[in-house]
Amino acid sequence: MLIKALLIALWAGITGIDLFNGLTHIHRPVVTGVVVGIILGDIRTGLIAGGMLELVWMGMVPLAGAQPPNVVIGGIIGTSFAILSKQDPNVAVGIAVPFALAAQAGITLLFTAFSPVMHKADEYAEKANLKGIDKINYLGLTILFISYFICAFLPIYFGADSAASMVALLPQTFIDGLSVAGGMMPAIGFAILLKIMLKKEYVAFLIVGFILVTYLNLSILAVALLATAIALYDFYANKSKESNAAQKEVMTDGI
Amino acid sequence: MASNTYEDLSKPKVINKKDLNKMAWRSLLLQASFNYERMQAAGWLYSLAPGLKKIHKNKNDLSKSMKSHMEFFNTHPFLVTFIMGIVIAMEEAKENIDSIRGIKIATMGPLGGIGDALFWLTLLPISAGIGASLAIDGNVAGPIVFLLIFNIVHFGLRFGLMHYGYKTGVSAIAKLKQGTKFVSHGASIIGLTVVGALIASYINLNTTLVIKAGKASVALQADVLDKVMPKMLPFAYTMLMYYLIKKGLSPVKLIGLTVVIGVVGKYIGIL
Repeated sequence: MLIKALLIALWAGITGIDLFNGLTHIHRPVVTGVVVGIILGDIRTGLIAGGMLELVWMGMVPLAGAQPPNVVIGGIIGTSFAILSKQDPNVAVGIAVPFALAAQAGITLLFTAFSPVMHKADEYAEKANLKGIDKINYLGLTILFISYFICAFLPIYFGADSAASMVALLPQTFIDGLSVAGGMMPAIGFAILLKIMLKKEYVAFLIVGFILVTYLNLSILAVALLATAIALYDFYANKSKESNAAQKEVMTDGI
Repeated sequence: MASNTYEDLSKPKVINKKDLNKMAWRSLLLQASFNYERMQAAGWLYSLAPGLKKIHKNKNDLSKSMKSHMEFFNTHPFLVTFIMGIVIAMEEAKENIDSIRGIKIATMGPLGGIGDALFWLTLLPISAGIGASLAIDGNVAGPIVFLLIFNIVHFGLRFGLMHYGYKTGVSAIAKLKQGTKFVSHGASIIGLTVVGALIASYINLNTTLVIKAGKASVALQADVLDKVMPKMLPFAYTMLMYYLIKKGLSPVKLIGLTVVIGVVGKYIGIL
């Protein structure tokens, strides 16, 4: 278990950096889920739990710099515990949230603690020392890596067995209830997206997307392509409308 | 004022394509030293470093430039290369430090907004939605497809905008303002259609409630709700969450509420 916990912690360190730097998005639950699944020898549960967590976290994005509950720790710990305690992948969501919240608080603290370091950076700038600026940034990366490594290692190495036995003590109805709740959770992610995006003029498109799936059973990609077609049509329709209006203005000016 | 202009005002063309790519690579570490006081400032300076070093041979000028780039800076981490391109073109032209600062401040806000709409609210839901749908079926292609779609757009824009920003320099600002409206409009159309589709696809909520009236029993889900409209409960639940979020409840409270509803619903046997 030590080696598995170390491997997962290493992965958490790498993806923790990716959450803020690189942003190749290997840190999203849909990716970390399968990696944790490979490490723990249960790819299928990893995929399913990762996919579920992905949907929950879809709306929790760092808008305007605000920190959402930590997706890296939430995804990795949620998937690990779902696999280790041999529970329904839906249960991963319930386990993930407390850890994601704790990590969110930790990151906020880290970003506060790093503020004074900027005065060192000012000194380097004064002396035109570009190497010094490099050093400060590499220091930030190192601290990020270590924080995530520890955050993932401790609960998985020390908590997995006790978590499994604790889960075993819970009544089955409770666990089934968590699973039902897990199925409902994506609604929260989608609601956050709606709060940010939904304006009256766009309500129609929300309904169209819903209908395309409920009644026509289209895949998400098909829906996305169809929506792109509508957006393209709308773009050119508006463009020609604008240039027509511009032409008319010129003509009336002429008369 | 001397403090706002560079000492060495010669303007040789020193920045080439290789330098631009180097800076775009470095921009991956934009938030390595993120903090609440200056946000991305030190990472921004780190990304610009190769260019600044080539442009400012005069040590006093380099120091001046570095100090101005250590000021507060925050924008979208993908679109930042566009500002970098413009700024490096201005530095190379030895523009006044005040106008370089002005361009940074004028662009970082709008680009932050466009980036949020484009990446976090459109590209991520679409690519991750496709990836997650495959993953939930147990298909290993899910994560791979997600990473491919996401990063082709991500890296294409990151490097493309660097060169575009540098080439168009300051004139790009006016163009950007025109394009903003169309981009956010189009992104809203695609994004919301996909969210509608995701609601129907990925929320599992059915009631097991059976209403008994004498000898007849009616399964609420199969006999009533599904006949009126499939996926009615998921839609209703999303709308409830949307309403509560607009009321100011935090996502964490809603997660708690959902757990309570799920567990209580299971205990009393309606879910």
